[in-house]
Amino acid sequence: MSGLLIDIQQVTKSYFSGSVETQVLFGVDLAVPRGDFLAVMGQSGSGKSTLMNIFGCLDQATGGSYFLNGVDTLTLSRNELASIRNRTIGFVFQSFNLIKRMSVAENVALPLIYAGVSRARAHAKALLELERVGLKDMAKRTPNQLSGGQQQRVAIARALVGDPPLILADEPTGNLDTQTSVEIMRSFQQLNQERGITILLVTHEPDIAAYAKRLVRLKDGRVLYDGPSAEGLQQMNAITV
Amino acid sequence: MMANRLRTLLTMLGIIIGITSVVLLLAVGDSMKRFIAKELEQLGTNMLFISPGGDRAQQQRMRSGAQPALTIRDAAALDQLPSLAGAAPVLQGGFNLAVGNENATKTVHGVTPAMFKIRGWKVDKGSAFSDADVRAAARMVVIGRKIADQFFYKQDPLGKYIRIENVSFQVVGVLYGEGKQVDGGDLSEYVIVPITAASANLVKVQFPGNVHYVVAQGKSGGNLQDAIQDINETLRDRHHIKIDQPDDFRIDNLASFAETAQKISAGIALLLGLIGAISLVVGGIGIMNIMLVSVTERTREIGIRMAIGAKPRDVLLQFLTEAVVICFVGGIFGILLASGAAAGITATGKFDVIITLRAVIVACGFSSLVGVFFGFYPARRASRLLPVDCLRYE
Repeated sequence: MSGLLIDIQQVTKSYFSGSVETQVLFGVDLAVPRGDFLAVMGQSGSGKSTLMNIFGCLDQATGGSYFLNGVDTLTLSRNELASIRNRTIGFVFQSFNLIKRMSVAENVALPLIYAGVSRARAHAKALLELERVGLKDMAKRTPNQLSGGQQQRVAIARALVGDPPLILADEPTGNLDTQTSVEIMRSFQQLNQERGITILLVTHEPDIAAYAKRLVRLKDGRVLYDGPSAEGLQQMNAITV
Repeated sequence: MMANRLRTLLTMLGIIIGITSVVLLLAVGDSMKRFIAKELEQLGTNMLFISPGGDRAQQQRMRSGAQPALTIRDAAALDQLPSLAGAAPVLQGGFNLAVGNENATKTVHGVTPAMFKIRGWKVDKGSAFSDADVRAAARMVVIGRKIADQFFYKQDPLGKYIRIENVSFQVVGVLYGEGKQVDGGDLSEYVIVPITAASANLVKVQFPGNVHYVVAQGKSGGNLQDAIQDINETLRDRHHIKIDQPDDFRIDNLASFAETAQKISAGIALLLGLIGAISLVVGGIGIMNIMLVSVTERTREIGIRMAIGAKPRDVLLQFLTEAVVICFVGGIFGILLASGAAAGITATGKFDVIITLRAVIVACGFSSLVGVFFGFYPARRASRLLPVDCLRYE
């Protein structure tokens, strides 16, 4: 197995509505080594969400190849993809995406339940992850009783509960105030540094992208920039100013 | 499912009503079968009715001037057959009964003591008449309870006299029990006299010794067909019927009536069950409808679950389980409701409706099956959604 966690080559994606074909990605190449912290930026319509969905095995590329953790994902069945999402990827979404009817602890434990772990063990592991994000006391509450920042931390705990090597965060601070955003981004940094988890972050805010080591900018379905985030952000500033 | 209690409850109501009707109608059907079986048992099992005249024999003999007939002596001969537990002749007719000013027309049965044994008649007070009384054509009468109450209200009827068609008969016994008999009469309204006394004083017959019919009972555990064969041979022999001539009597088998009655009641029970099943199917369609709505409403949740690792099968099972739980819980409520209704019907005293374990098991199984059947389509639809579409759904 190579050191690359994500290896996509010449990935294209087209949507069909009726007979009209809309191409979103035009041959994207990207290699992400283990332990990387990568921010994907781009304006709406740049294809960054589509790319994110492909990374997350929520959607499949129309062309090209995508190796995740050494596995060719384009050949997998729906069940195998579900299994990959369960074990390899932790998702953090902009709108938190917690299940409102379930308690915080049940939400966090859910990936383990789907992995076939016993309820008791899943619950114990969920409490451990909640403790790490400082929300153990909230375990029995429902998501609606929590603030946005707390909900996002619950979502992070859920993403981490199965110890995946990769976290995909799609605009994780989009619904949060600046203060909370900073807290969330610091915890991502911590996860990256201390636990060696690879983080892939989608955002359109330069402040948020600044927390990443590496920046990829997309425009019209093509990679515009791929390099260290500091330089990339400087370039952007130069253009806008 | 819990989030929308009212909706779940209303959906469940369809199943509750369905299961209630299935259980109740099955119970009514079962109880009806039991009721008929009990009635038939009361009438006596292994009973054979031998009456004079076969279809064709009647015409032939009438033409030659002879009446087909069964006699007291035929009955006595049959009574000796080893394949029969007994046989007894009957003469019957409606006659005027009178005691003082009280009078009424009742069916009077002229029989021999063997009849008491065959029909299982028990004498409560006094005793039945004996074979000697029959030989003597003694004017004795055994009466049913209602007759005793009607003519001898609050008096001891034993030893008193009833005038039947103005002939005095002494009451020697009162029958025990009540209930419909095979001839449609009620046991408590029976008036029983020695057959010879009936023939001498009441019933007009062409020849002395002729009887209306003979009742025979097969040996318990014996083969009724053998008994019928024996009766047939004995009577043909006694009536000097040549081998190529048809019978001049008819043998009716009560067991075959019983079988027919059982078949009819089983058919009615099935019909009632089907009617219940239709309402259950309607309830099931309600479940399917609400599950489809639920799947649409929870598209995003399905997307979240798929994103964190739910396989299509997990999603399918989740929705299927919900449908089955709704049906199963509805089934339990339905059974409770049906039990209440059954108790209500039983309390009216007209008809005993008992909910059997079988009905409960059938209902529970059937309602779960309805859940699986009607839950499957919405659940499969949920499981086939693509995660990316679900997550985009608002």
